[in-house]
Amino acid sequence: MSDYELVVESALDGAEHEFEGVTVSEVVGKSLVMVALPRSKFTEIESSMTKSCGLSLPGMERSTQSKDSSITLWRLQKNQVLAYFSYEGNDAEVNIANRLNAPAYYTDQSDTWAMIRVNGPRSRDVLERICPIDLSKNVFSVGNVSRTIMEHIGTIIYRDDDDSYVLLTMRSFGVSMLHAIEVSAKNVL
Amino acid sequence: MIINHPLLGPRDSEEFVYLGAADLINRPSNWEHDASAEDFYQYQYIRENVAGDHRELWYHEQGDQSWLVVTRNTLSHEIINVELAQDVSRGIGRGK
Repeated sequence: MSDYELVVESALDGAEHEFEGVTVSEVVGKSLVMVALPRSKFTEIESSMTKSCGLSLPGMERSTQSKDSSITLWRLQKNQVLAYFSYEGNDAEVNIANRLNAPAYYTDQSDTWAMIRVNGPRSRDVLERICPIDLSKNVFSVGNVSRTIMEHIGTIIYRDDDDSYVLLTMRSFGVSMLHAIEVSAKNVL
Repeated sequence: MIINHPLLGPRDSEEFVYLGAADLINRPSNWEHDASAEDFYQYQYIRENVAGDHRELWYHEQGDQSWLVVTRNTLSHEIINVELAQDVSRGIGRGK
């Protein structure tokens, strides 16, 4: 046994900035686990998830939620989903595997992403300058999720409420992404 | 340039990586025969330099990581058709 313990640090140190009509803040208390779906087991996996948490497999670029709303699945590729759920422990992979109880392959990605929430009535005005995807209310509706590029770097964007978006980018780029959003906010607002 | 992805809808071409002519799907399967050297030479190096509609492979690297067969007019850059490479490959009797 080692005589020291690793302490978790969030990617952006809990950053939170208020602008007129928009709040930009780090998302904390969430874990992210990739769930790879072997092609031959789609049906089996879906029925196991439905049984354990009331989850179905979402369509491409859509999300589904568990019965108690604590787990969200994002479908960004045909053969995998990302599980985005409330959990702060170091064993997110085991935790979600037990909760879903489905024969898929799980990989913990929680600490590799920086998660930023942009919310408020003017959030779309701020995001449209850096996001190449059409974020119009009716096109990118609540529950939609996409992987695209912002500031030349791969970024996932998820709309979790009418005026609320969660952006995920690689952890090492988190501070720069936060800066890009804030510059956009200052330019627009 | 906007590529109309069959699963995801219209996406900016900046999200994609270009590989080359869609002929690359037709990898010769006779590698154990004497004639295969010529077939592989054709497969690897010989390309039509089309002035018009051209079928080509694009990879959605900053998206869902799918391979697409895009038919693009090389004179006007108009994109005429977009298919999943997987479907094209299966359509001509190749494997997965």
